[in-house]
Amino acid sequence: MAAESKKVLYGLYNDEEDLKGAIKTANAAHLNIMDVFTPFPVHGLDPILGLKESRLHILGFIYGATGALFGFLAMTWIFTTDWPILFGGKPYWSVPAFIPITFEMTVLFSAWGMTITFYTICGMWPGVKAKTLDNRITDDKFCIAFDVTDAPDSDVKNLQGFFTNTGASEVNVKAL
Amino acid sequence: MNLTNTQFVFEGKTKRVLIGGMVLGVLCLVLTALNDDEYHTRFWTNFLHNSVYFTAIAFMAMFFLAAQITAFAGWMTAIKRIWESMGQFMLVGLVLIGIVAIGVWGHLHHLYHWNDPNLNISDPSAPHYDRIIAGKSGFLNPVFFTIASIGFLAIWYFWSYKMRQTSIAQDTMETASRDYYKTERKWAASFLPIGGFLSAVFFWQVLMSVDPHWYSTMFAWYATASAWLGSLALTVMIIIYLKSRGYLDFVTHDHLHDVGKYVFGISVFWTYLWFDQFMLIWYANNGEETIYFKERMNHYPVLFWGNLLMNFVAPFLILMRNDTKRKFGTMFFVALIVFFGHWWDYFYMIKPGARIAAHEAKELAEGGHHNTGLSAPASDALAVKTVLSNVKGEQHESGEQQPAAAESHGEANQPVPNDENMHDAEASEDGAHGASADDHGAAAPADEHGTEEADHGGHGEDAHGAAAHAAEPSGFRLGFTVPGLEELGVMIGFLSLFLFFFFTQLERASLIPLKDPYLEESLHHETGANIEGEGGGHDHH
Repeated sequence: MAAESKKVLYGLYNDEEDLKGAIKTANAAHLNIMDVFTPFPVHGLDPILGLKESRLHILGFIYGATGALFGFLAMTWIFTTDWPILFGGKPYWSVPAFIPITFEMTVLFSAWGMTITFYTICGMWPGVKAKTLDNRITDDKFCIAFDVTDAPDSDVKNLQGFFTNTGASEVNVKAL
Repeated sequence: MNLTNTQFVFEGKTKRVLIGGMVLGVLCLVLTALNDDEYHTRFWTNFLHNSVYFTAIAFMAMFFLAAQITAFAGWMTAIKRIWESMGQFMLVGLVLIGIVAIGVWGHLHHLYHWNDPNLNISDPSAPHYDRIIAGKSGFLNPVFFTIASIGFLAIWYFWSYKMRQTSIAQDTMETASRDYYKTERKWAASFLPIGGFLSAVFFWQVLMSVDPHWYSTMFAWYATASAWLGSLALTVMIIIYLKSRGYLDFVTHDHLHDVGKYVFGISVFWTYLWFDQFMLIWYANNGEETIYFKERMNHYPVLFWGNLLMNFVAPFLILMRNDTKRKFGTMFFVALIVFFGHWWDYFYMIKPGARIAAHEAKELAEGGHHNTGLSAPASDALAVKTVLSNVKGEQHESGEQQPAAAESHGEANQPVPNDENMHDAEASEDGAHGASADDHGAAAPADEHGTEEADHGGHGEDAHGAAAHAAEPSGFRLGFTVPGLEELGVMIGFLSLFLFFFFTQLERASLIPLKDPYLEESLHHETGANIEGEGGGHDHH
C-alpha cells in the first residue's frame, strides 16, 4: 500500500512524569500534538490529552447480547424442535442447563467481535508493516510526536524549543 | 491533597439518631415476639438473621482487608481505617451469636431441628429417630455449635484486634517505615487460612443447619460471597456518607471506582455460586436435595426471584459501565440495593427452613406417631423421588429410539419431563404417594438413595400424614414469605447498632494511617479511567 509520506517531529522522554508535564505545557501553548507513545499504559494520560472514551465496549455489549441470544435460541430450537432428547427426566426446554452455554457464547461473541473490530479500526492485519517512530518507545522511552509535514520552519524551531525546555532527552525527525 | 480533616468526631446528633434506630429495632423485635408461634420462630429467626448478617459483614471487611494487605495492595490505604473499624464489630457479634448459642443450650428456640430436646432424634430406638440427622450428630450438637460459632468468632476477633492495634501503633512513628506494616502483614496473612477455612464451618453451623436434612457443598462460599457484598456495599455507603460530612477528602472517584469494581465482580461471583448450587442439585435430581429448591420456588417466589433481581441483575446491568462506578449518587443507589439484597439473601437462607423446623417440632410434639425416620419435607421429597425413578425406568425404553420419541411427544406413555411430575406429586397426594410407596421397591435397584430410604420401610401410611402437613407451613405468612415491616425495623435496629459501634471505633484513630508506607500510593491512586466532564477527584489540590 502506498501510504502518503508524513514528516514527524518527535521527542523522547525518560520519565512518564516528565511526559505528562510536557503535555500540559504543550496544551497551554496550544501546540497540536499528533500522538503520544508510551511503553506501558500511563494512568491519567487520557484526560490531559483530551481523548474521548472508547466506544469499543458499546460494541462489546452488542456482540455479547447477540451471542447470548444466539446461544439460547439455538439450544431452544435444537432441544425442543429439531432433535429433542430426554436427559434424566429433565424437561426438553431445560433453561438451567442452557445457562452455562449461553454464558460461553456471550463471552465468545464479545471477545472475538471486539478483537476483530479493534484490529480493523487500527488497520492491523497479517503482513502489515509497523510504522514505528523509534523502537525504544516499546521499551523505556516516552514519546510526543508532532506532524510537521506542512509546518513552516519557524514552527519546527518553536517545537524543538519546546522539547528542549520540557526536558526531552532526544529530538528527531522521521518520515512515516 | 487535603490531609487536615483526619479526625472523625462522632457527633451527639448522629448518636441520637442511631440510638433511635436501635430503640426501633428492639421495639420491632418485641412486637414480633408478642405476636408469634409457641417457639417464637419469627422473633428468633429475625434475631439470628440480623446477628449473622452483620457479624459476617464485619468478618468479611476484615478478611478482605487481610487479603489486600497480604497482596501489598496500596490503593486502599485511604479507606483502610473504615474496614478496620468495621471488623471490630465482631466483638458485638460475639455477644449476639452468644445469645443464639445460649438459646441452643437452654432450648429457648427451635431454629435448629437437630437440637430438639424432646425427640431423641439420634437414638435408633426412640420413636422419632431421624437417620439423616443422627448421621450428622457428631457435627450438629450444642458443643460443636458453640465452638464453631462463638469459638471461631473469638479467634477472628482476636486477629482483627491485633491488626487494628498494630495499625494504630503505626501512627506513633516519626516517619513512615515498614516496621509495623511487616507485623501487620504477618497477622493479615495468617488470618487468611484461619478465616477462610473456619468461615465455612461457621456458616454450616449457624445457617445451613437450619435445614439439617439438606446440605450443599457450595453453601459456605455462597454465604461468604453474600456477606462480602454486604460488606462492600456498606463500605461504599459509609465512604459517601463520610464525604458528605466533610471527611475523607483524600478518597477520590478512583478509590470509589475500584470498590465499585469489586461490587460488580463479586456480584457476578455470588451469582456463579448461587447458580452452581442450584444447577448441580437440579441436575443430580436427588429428591432430598431438590426439595429444598422446590419448596422455595413454589412457596417463596418473591424471595427466590427477588434475590436474583437485586443481587445479580441490578448490580450487573448498572455497574457494567465505567462511569456509573465513579458517580457517588449511582454508587450509593446500587450499594443500597446490594446491601438490602444480601440481607434478603440471608433472609431466604434462614426463614423457610426455620419455619419448616418449627412446624415439624409442633407436629411431632402433637401427633408423635410416625416413625418414618424422615421429617415431613423429606418424605415429600421421597414422593418426588419415586415419581422420578419411574421416569428413569421408562427412559431406558425411550432412550433407544430417540428420534421417534420426539415425534410421539404428546402420547400418553411418553415420559413426562420432571417439572410436571413434581407438581403431580404435590397435587395428588393420595394417588401419587400411595403409588410411589408401592412402586418404590421395584424402581429402587436403579437408584441407590431410593434403596436406602426404602429400607426404612413403613412409610406408606405415615408419609401420607406427614406430606399432608408439610403443605401447611407453605402458605403466605408475613415475616417468612416476605419480610414484613417488623423485619425492616429489626434490620434498621441492627444497622444502627453496627454503625454506632463502627463510628465509636472510627473515632479512636486518625481516618487515614498517616505513617503507612503505602500512603503516597493511595493518595495518588488513579484507575486510568477517563470520564468526560468529571469534576471531582483531582480538584482538591
